Amino acid sequence: MIRGSWFDSRFTINDSRNTNNDMEKALRQKAEELLEKGDVKVVLGYGWNRGKTRTTPVFITKPEDVEKLVFNPLCVNNLSLYLTRQYKDIQALGKPAIVAKGCDIRTIAVLIAEGQIERDNIVIIGMTCNGVVYKQELWKGKLSDDIMPTKCHNCDVRNPHLADYIIGDAVDFMPPEEPSGMVFDKIKELDTMEQDKRWEFWMEHFARCVKCYACSKICPLCYCERCIAEKNMPQWIETSAHPRGNLAWNLIRAMHLAGRCTFCGECERACPTDIPLNLINQKLAKEINDAFGYRAGYDEKEHPPLIVFNPDDQEDFIK
Amino acid sequence: MSRIGVFVCQCGNNIASTVDTKKVAEEMSKMPGVVYTCDYKFMCSAPGQENLREIVKAQKLDGVVVSACSPHMHEKTFRKACESAGLNPYKCEISNIREQCSWVHHDKTKKVGTIKSIDLTRMTIERLKKNRPLKNINIPVKKRALVIGGGIAGIQAALDIADGGIEVILVEKEPSIGGNMARLSETFPTMDCSQCILTPKMVEAELHDNITIYTWSEIEKVDGYIGNFTVQIRKKAKYVDEQLCTGCGECIEKCPFKADNEFEMKLNKRKVIYTPFPQAVPNIPVIDAPHCVKIQKDKCGACAIICGPNAIDFKQKDQIITEEVGAIIVATGYQLMPNERFGEYGYGKIKDVISGLQFERLASSSGPTGGEIIRPSDGNVPKSVVFIQCVGSRDEKKGVAYCSKVCCMYTAKHTMLYKHKVHDGQSYVFYMDIRSAGKRYEEFVRRAIEHDGAMYLRGRVSRVYERNGKIVVQGADTLSGNQVEIEADMVVLATAILARDGADTLAQRLGIGYDKHKFYNEYHPKLRPVETVTGGIYLAGTCAGPMDIPDSVSMGGATASKVLGLFSSDEMSREPITAIVNRAICNACWDCLNACPYSAIEKESENDRHGNILRWLAKVNDGLCQGCGICVAACRSKCIDLQGYTDEQVYAAINAF
Amino acid sequence: MPANEMSVMDNKQAITEKQETTTAWEPKITAFVCNWCTYAGADLAGTSRMEYRPNVRIIKLPCTGRIDPLFIIKAFEKEADGVLVSGCHPGDCHYTTGNYHARRRWIAFKTLMEFVGIDMRRLHFSWVSASEAIKWVDLINNVTDEVKELGPFVEYKGLND
Repeated sequence: MIRGSWFDSRFTINDSRNTNNDMEKALRQKAEELLEKGDVKVVLGYGWNRGKTRTTPVFITKPEDVEKLVFNPLCVNNLSLYLTRQYKDIQALGKPAIVAKGCDIRTIAVLIAEGQIERDNIVIIGMTCNGVVYKQELWKGKLSDDIMPTKCHNCDVRNPHLADYIIGDAVDFMPPEEPSGMVFDKIKELDTMEQDKRWEFWMEHFARCVKCYACSKICPLCYCERCIAEKNMPQWIETSAHPRGNLAWNLIRAMHLAGRCTFCGECERACPTDIPLNLINQKLAKEINDAFGYRAGYDEKEHPPLIVFNPDDQEDFIK
Repeated sequence: MSRIGVFVCQCGNNIASTVDTKKVAEEMSKMPGVVYTCDYKFMCSAPGQENLREIVKAQKLDGVVVSACSPHMHEKTFRKACESAGLNPYKCEISNIREQCSWVHHDKTKKVGTIKSIDLTRMTIERLKKNRPLKNINIPVKKRALVIGGGIAGIQAALDIADGGIEVILVEKEPSIGGNMARLSETFPTMDCSQCILTPKMVEAELHDNITIYTWSEIEKVDGYIGNFTVQIRKKAKYVDEQLCTGCGECIEKCPFKADNEFEMKLNKRKVIYTPFPQAVPNIPVIDAPHCVKIQKDKCGACAIICGPNAIDFKQKDQIITEEVGAIIVATGYQLMPNERFGEYGYGKIKDVISGLQFERLASSSGPTGGEIIRPSDGNVPKSVVFIQCVGSRDEKKGVAYCSKVCCMYTAKHTMLYKHKVHDGQSYVFYMDIRSAGKRYEEFVRRAIEHDGAMYLRGRVSRVYERNGKIVVQGADTLSGNQVEIEADMVVLATAILARDGADTLAQRLGIGYDKHKFYNEYHPKLRPVETVTGGIYLAGTCAGPMDIPDSVSMGGATASKVLGLFSSDEMSREPITAIVNRAICNACWDCLNACPYSAIEKESENDRHGNILRWLAKVNDGLCQGCGICVAACRSKCIDLQGYTDEQVYAAINAF
Repeated sequence: MPANEMSVMDNKQAITEKQETTTAWEPKITAFVCNWCTYAGADLAGTSRMEYRPNVRIIKLPCTGRIDPLFIIKAFEKEADGVLVSGCHPGDCHYTTGNYHARRRWIAFKTLMEFVGIDMRRLHFSWVSASEAIKWVDLINNVTDEVKELGPFVEYKGLND
């Protein structure tokens, strides 16, 4: 594994946060070139916040602004969110290029499969990646296994797929055969629990839900013009933050992402009450992979698995 | 507030014996929006319906619930009654308190039944409040029909429709219509010559003012829906100008090259420019391009040189013809299972082991031998012939599980034809069971056995091999319990009938279902045997499963009557249970489109006045939509809904329990 | 005695026994069924005068493909103690593929419901054809008995407080 060496040698954030590493240099060059040639009208990328403590999305429209682009393990956000129909102002700028890690590209692939973006209408600048931090507050200047989220430990797209350009050296990393890490360990633990204990576990978590819908707002795949939660004729999901409606909301949110969720983890990161949404999403992702042999975000031409079928689908509970 | 009337039916004692209908009516009268309730002996009777109509009018009802039998029984009746009283028929709902309550809960104290009936009726009332008045959908009908396949079933369908005054397009992929029946020598049980009864029909079809025949043509693409199909037909290059060709046949004579004769089941060779048989309709030859030296190597050209009217055109290309029709009849027929699968019967290795259709050609007076039954290997007359039945049929391991239905009968016919031509010959038949159900069929088989001396042996053949110029057939005679060995001069295999290669591709193009054997599915195997689940597409003949000529002809006629019925009015009316899109919030994720089994959802663009596309959204084609609602469950934002089963209606029903 | 008669007899006996021991609480069971197979199968149970537990209330949909997980959740919210979903057997769908779609959806939904700790004895999935009246009767009896034994769905109802 070369994770350590890569960061040690090229990315020592403590010394000079402004120093361009090779990747940033290449990224800025590519962005400049694309903007100058007029291939794209805007580059969606990462930039520093004011205090340079975390990264924030930046939308570069002028070649001279490309210096604002950065890339480092703090680039956690899934920028594909800004390709969706909710961000009409960004769409109005014209054809975008997007700075995307492999995991982000998985989301883009689903968006393409669902007709939300046309492949020819975006330029994907794929960034090779050695992992990001689980939470930006955990960053002490050096990436290590313990501050990486579960998705990075199991990532098989560190060398981005479907990209128009790839920035960075190829990464040599083999994810474990069986998904592992905090999320999957917890899923296993829950699976072995008594059913009523599982119920207690989830009701405790859902009781905290304040129905802020941050999970849905940040999810690039929750792109509906009108969310089912906003529908009031009939009102399937109760609006108040009340245990019954909270459960309904979380169940339906999970169902709507079943077979589509690419495990970017943004929902859980955005949740102000720390509901472990990754557990639900990944439980379903695993079931769908087991049952239908489908993993979201690898093939931009394949339809999501819950709107297609195979006459030979197997189950043992329909009597 | 609604003005709903609730009518609780006693159904004589069928409901009233376990449900207190009076109490149900009484309870319902307490519900908001209900302005009238009653219970009545027989709601479906003439006075019951009259009563309903009068009350709808008198009470100015805007909704009716009839608590009675299953909606499958009388929903139509009561909706019609409501309609004639001026109420929208879709504002009438049935609460099923008979099949699903009084008949299944036998509590004579009426407690159980009454409680449940009250619940069921309440749920229906709440659902009804969310019903919107709906209008039946009228779809204009294009009064032209397409028949795919020019065998006897297709010809019959085309003739019957054309006789009804409707224009028919008949598409056949071979150079001539006629199908497999044209290959047959005589037909059971009447023993009349197949061509003698078929060719007049072929000519009639050719000359009919209302029939256009495209031979050497295949279906490329089908769009649209009942009443409004657009079909693209690939008219393959014949390299012969059909307008100029007089059918004199000199080109065929002059052509120096030969290829396998498919029509004669490869028993002999035909020319490279050919008509499949002398009575071909149309009588215009085609050039077999892969074998033509002129087309492949730019040599020869003898046909073009001899052709008086200059009809040969080597530059001809495939043409795509677009036809608009209102109904489609599929009559694509069958093929035989390749005998090569049955190595133990020696097919392919031993020249004188032939298939049933090959025997037909040998026995046919227009066949390669002029009707003389002789061995393909040496031209000698076979003195003993063994017929093996169920080759591939009823044999799940090596063939197919089903019975091919016609083999028992044609084998009996073969033994008779053989006896009539080779008087001193002996025929043997290995069979599993003799299936001779049909008018005069059993008598026919008895005649073969008793009059024409066919030796029937009940058992399977284990091995067929050659010994000293003879074919040795080893098998079991299970009736006597003996192993038998017969030295035969010829062996005829009754091979299984299969769906045609490519039947599945055509089905997918048409959007009709097929079974695991690729035979097309009927809408209902008993009650709607010639319809498919796709409206406006009908089935005739063996593409639906093995059958004989009378069955194929009746099916062809039946499809014609369906088509003429469909075309009897300019518009067709159907229930408005269709999906509907909320255009304001559609996300164009195409989940609905991809999930729809009927391709009833289309992409529609919203454009600005310069024609620039602003956004895409889903659009339901009412003609194609069958109202299953799969799209509704697939839609995450619920911007598509199903009329008659809307989310609001379902929600109201759940809520009311 | 033919199987169906036996089953009817058993049911009769069972029902009378139940009625004797019935206390105030009876489970509430919501069934979502398709119009063509299961609804017709339930009708057949009626025309055959079979007898089964009275706790089920049927909501008819055209096809299992129309059944949204929202329906099931809403039914539990509205205090159903058990929910049953049933349609045509795979391959028999009136709309050719609706139940295949439904089956996929249910595989995911069942996993989800199990994962959040719903007792799966309260949520049943079944294929009942138009001719399987006996299967329908047995199904309703079994589901009702099972749910009855579990008692009221206090966990879900508890969310209302």
